[in-house]
Amino acid sequence: MSSAPSASAINAANKLEVLVEAFISKLKRRQVTGSYNVAIATCQFLMRVTSISRWNTANEFITLIREIGKRITDSQPREFAAGNIVRRVLAIVRDEINLNKTFNDNNSTNIAPVSASMFQLLITSNKEKDVGNIKINEKSDLRSIIIQGIRDLMDEIQSVHENIELMTVDLIHDNEILLTPTPGSSTVLNFLLKASLKRKFTVLITENYPNDIELCHRFAKKLADANIESVIIPDSTVFAVMSRVGKVLIGTRSVFVNGGCVTAAGVATVCECAKEHRTPVFTVAGLYKFSPCYPFDRNSLIEVGNSGKVVPYEDSDLVGKCEVTNPLYDYVSPEHIDIYITNIGGFSPNFIYRIILDNYYTNDVDLS
Amino acid sequence: MPPKQNKETDDEHKFQAIVLADSFQTRFMPLTSVKPRCLLPLANVPLIEYTLEFLAQSNVVNEVYVMCCSHADQIQEYIDNSKWVTISSPFKKIQTISSKESRSVGDAMRDVDSRGLITGDFILISGDVVTNLDIAKVIEDHKKYKSNDRDYICTMVLTQASPMHRSRSIIEPACFIMDRATNRCLYYQDLPPINGKKTSVNIDPEVLEDIAEFEVNNSLIDCHVDICTAAVPTIFQENFDYQTLRSDFVKGVLGSDLLKKHIYSYITNDQYSARVESWQTYDGICQDVLERWCYPIVPERNLLEDQTYTYGSQHIYKENGVILSQSCKLQSAVVIGKDSFIGDETAVENSVIGRSCKIGANVIVENSYIWDGAIIEDGCIIKHSIIANDAIIRKNVILNPGSVIGFGVVIDENVIVPNNTRIIKQRIKNSTSSNIISSDDDDDDDEKDEHDSDDDEFDGPSKVVNELTLRDPSVVGYNGLGFLYEDDEEAQNEPSSGIVYEMAELNLSDSSLASSAITVHHTNKKKKRSHSSASGFVSEDEGESFDKEAIATVERAMENNHDLDTAMLELNTLRMSMNVTYHEVRESSCLAMIKRTNHFIETGTLGVKDAAEKIFRHWGKMFNRQVFDDADQVDLLLIIQEICYKLDEDYKALLFGCVAVVLYDIDILDDENIIAWWNSKESKKIPEIREKVAKWIEMLQEDSSEEESDDDEEEEEDEESEEE
Repeated sequence: MSSAPSASAINAANKLEVLVEAFISKLKRRQVTGSYNVAIATCQFLMRVTSISRWNTANEFITLIREIGKRITDSQPREFAAGNIVRRVLAIVRDEINLNKTFNDNNSTNIAPVSASMFQLLITSNKEKDVGNIKINEKSDLRSIIIQGIRDLMDEIQSVHENIELMTVDLIHDNEILLTPTPGSSTVLNFLLKASLKRKFTVLITENYPNDIELCHRFAKKLADANIESVIIPDSTVFAVMSRVGKVLIGTRSVFVNGGCVTAAGVATVCECAKEHRTPVFTVAGLYKFSPCYPFDRNSLIEVGNSGKVVPYEDSDLVGKCEVTNPLYDYVSPEHIDIYITNIGGFSPNFIYRIILDNYYTNDVDLS
Repeated sequence: MPPKQNKETDDEHKFQAIVLADSFQTRFMPLTSVKPRCLLPLANVPLIEYTLEFLAQSNVVNEVYVMCCSHADQIQEYIDNSKWVTISSPFKKIQTISSKESRSVGDAMRDVDSRGLITGDFILISGDVVTNLDIAKVIEDHKKYKSNDRDYICTMVLTQASPMHRSRSIIEPACFIMDRATNRCLYYQDLPPINGKKTSVNIDPEVLEDIAEFEVNNSLIDCHVDICTAAVPTIFQENFDYQTLRSDFVKGVLGSDLLKKHIYSYITNDQYSARVESWQTYDGICQDVLERWCYPIVPERNLLEDQTYTYGSQHIYKENGVILSQSCKLQSAVVIGKDSFIGDETAVENSVIGRSCKIGANVIVENSYIWDGAIIEDGCIIKHSIIANDAIIRKNVILNPGSVIGFGVVIDENVIVPNNTRIIKQRIKNSTSSNIISSDDDDDDDEKDEHDSDDDEFDGPSKVVNELTLRDPSVVGYNGLGFLYEDDEEAQNEPSSGIVYEMAELNLSDSSLASSAITVHHTNKKKKRSHSSASGFVSEDEGESFDKEAIATVERAMENNHDLDTAMLELNTLRMSMNVTYHEVRESSCLAMIKRTNHFIETGTLGVKDAAEKIFRHWGKMFNRQVFDDADQVDLLLIIQEICYKLDEDYKALLFGCVAVVLYDIDILDDENIIAWWNSKESKKIPEIREKVAKWIEMLQEDSSEEESDDDEEEEEDEESEEE
């Protein structure tokens, strides 16, 4: 980048550096948290990077974004959404390159678009629109196409709830008892609120002590305000009530290529109980949560939080004398999940790799 | 929107921050002789990073001034090379201010004021705070207080902890009295260091008037994070005797009727904040960071740009490039920096290991802090110790709890370092006893050779050092490098300055402290009750309240160094409004002055004579308006005698003598009246006090007998009858 030593180039490089550093420290300081917020923030950040940065060819841009993506994922490896968005943007660029290639060289066929287009037949999403957009703008600057792509991506993220809600009527029956162990998930909340318009059902909410207990109360209140019968149960009674539960509904932080997912602590136990009782487990997640990474080291996926939430810090009799750990996340393996409900439809965990292949390029999985 | 633009638009909501990078203390000696405290690593991150990160996280600070005193060049250099000066820094401006002549927080604040740095509200924070506090809430409160209370100047951030907490300061324990409804701090007193003695807190009941409910709290971790208005530096400037932030400033402001300023407190329960102010808190806070009590301030947060820590179960943090041999054991809470090596069968527990450290085989490391580049060879046992950068510990060394091994020290094979030993590479020259040390040096060097040859003969692992000599081989071994560091001042004043705190001893003393604080609370309540019930007896009540008021007035005058005339005027007004005699006025002013004197003596700042001299030489002049005739003078002496008698100190007689001499010197007392007092019946009732002045009286008697022959005794009798 700074190969050209002109003042403006250095200025631009500096500007970019400020931008990247500011975003990384924002993530590090947890000033942005939660998959949704991080995804939107990353989109906005990448949009600015695209407009500020200087590059001549698409490949240069790809290297730049990969570099930035690497820094982001290294600095905050457990905000998976940031890495996903970076890869999605890379996919937009690569799509564009491939499209140009196919356009220039009509006879050559590219494997990736074909496999993608096969899948296009099965789904009805805005993916087709994307392709259309690019075709129209093929002559114009790549930069504006990328920015448009990111804008579309943001629209997709922002409309996730609406698209997921479309399926509520098919999935939830009248007088059903649902259990949700992730009161922190706004996707689950919107799903239930939407369902309550057509169906009457009861929701059991685990209290998720100690980390999400406030969220749980807020969640229950919102449901109660919408006239949904909601019951808060302690985490320990999950197994006892499972026999009466019709469906378990969970939200996630990230879905991995093998169909497993990372979600709030305690959910793994709930899914285990559900399996024991043959209760179906539904996972709601937006497409932006799908990560092309494979969860090799499961311990490294789990964030360990403030010990003070488990044992109050003032309790000097225990502090320093016993080891206290407070994991915030759980990894749920694909065997424990029956279906993923996303904004592009419902899929079995076995099929997740396919969706990921359609939205990401395999050479972007490893950003380094 | 880019964050930069955001900052500029709401610039007026931004705060300035003053980081007090100097501690103005010597608790971290000898290490602080090489490196300033705020650059000492805590969990492999220099301390000041935690403070700056806190300010950055708050997102409300745009200008940071780092006040440095000693080692200012090092701090300057560090800041200039840190991420905080880069264009992506969250601060618009970060500036190190070298204020070399500052000797206390007060001096630094006066420097800040005279430089005119402060333009609005600011955050005052010391450079050694570790916290995950959410400053937004405090700032909200600050704004609320500011708009509701015109006299508001400052909010102190305090954290609740149980009395025995490891991160609570045992060196600067303090008692806060707070109005429960408004969180206004009513009274502050620092308690003397815990040494098993019971202490008490004296509260002026007037302070608690009109307060529905108050709480007395001594279990607070005071992390010295204050949100101040621009008035604070001015107050420091006006009261040039304020030295410390708490015991002078807070106490002074709260105790002053003239200033009439209010200080509020913000007490957090669920957030972590603590200050690294001693080895004990260093140890405690380090463990807290590792055990994630201060989340999200944890090692894998990688506060420094180039750090790559990752978390592993059992609170084990490793950077890239760590080499662990297969059979080494890492138990809970361990941090290991880049390129460090740990040998076979080595067990590490609750410890921090810096970068590029080499730890050999069969080493035991427990609760220890090994800084960058240190080398520990096979078979060492290291417990509760600190090993500074680039120190070398050779084979089979045992470091007993409390050892501090300075920068670049080499400890030879088989040495056993006793408890609480501090070893430095080079002697510190500017210490008070430097002359003695250096003179000793020469002798030692001569002796050394002989001694060494002796040692060589039975140089076994049992070379236990019993006496703390300055001879280096006895401390660090024959091939070692380093001297023993002794700080006698600290040894006396702060028994618990070591990294290890003897829990058993401490337990007792602290709980007794807590309980005594509670009893204070109770008695005070009782007092109040009796006070109100006795309100029927107006006269009695008035007399009592005059005493208190007058004492408070004089105390205030002395504490804040008021003008003598003002103080006298105040007293006189008080006397007239309360309609009391001069006797009472004298009584109260004497009481206040002697109390003040006694305070100096007790705290050891001044000797008996100097203290009496200091107070009475200046303030004694107040008696010019309280003592008019001969009878008054005798009365004054009797009062002082009685007050001194009531003092429960062994120097009370001496104190009386000194006071009397000073008063004589400044012509408050005439010699014949002193002799009159000496011969009076009242004075003879308290013989203990008289003894010391007997000689002096004799002298006076001789003098006066020369001038006036023998009408003394007649006069005496007259006076006595007058008094009665």
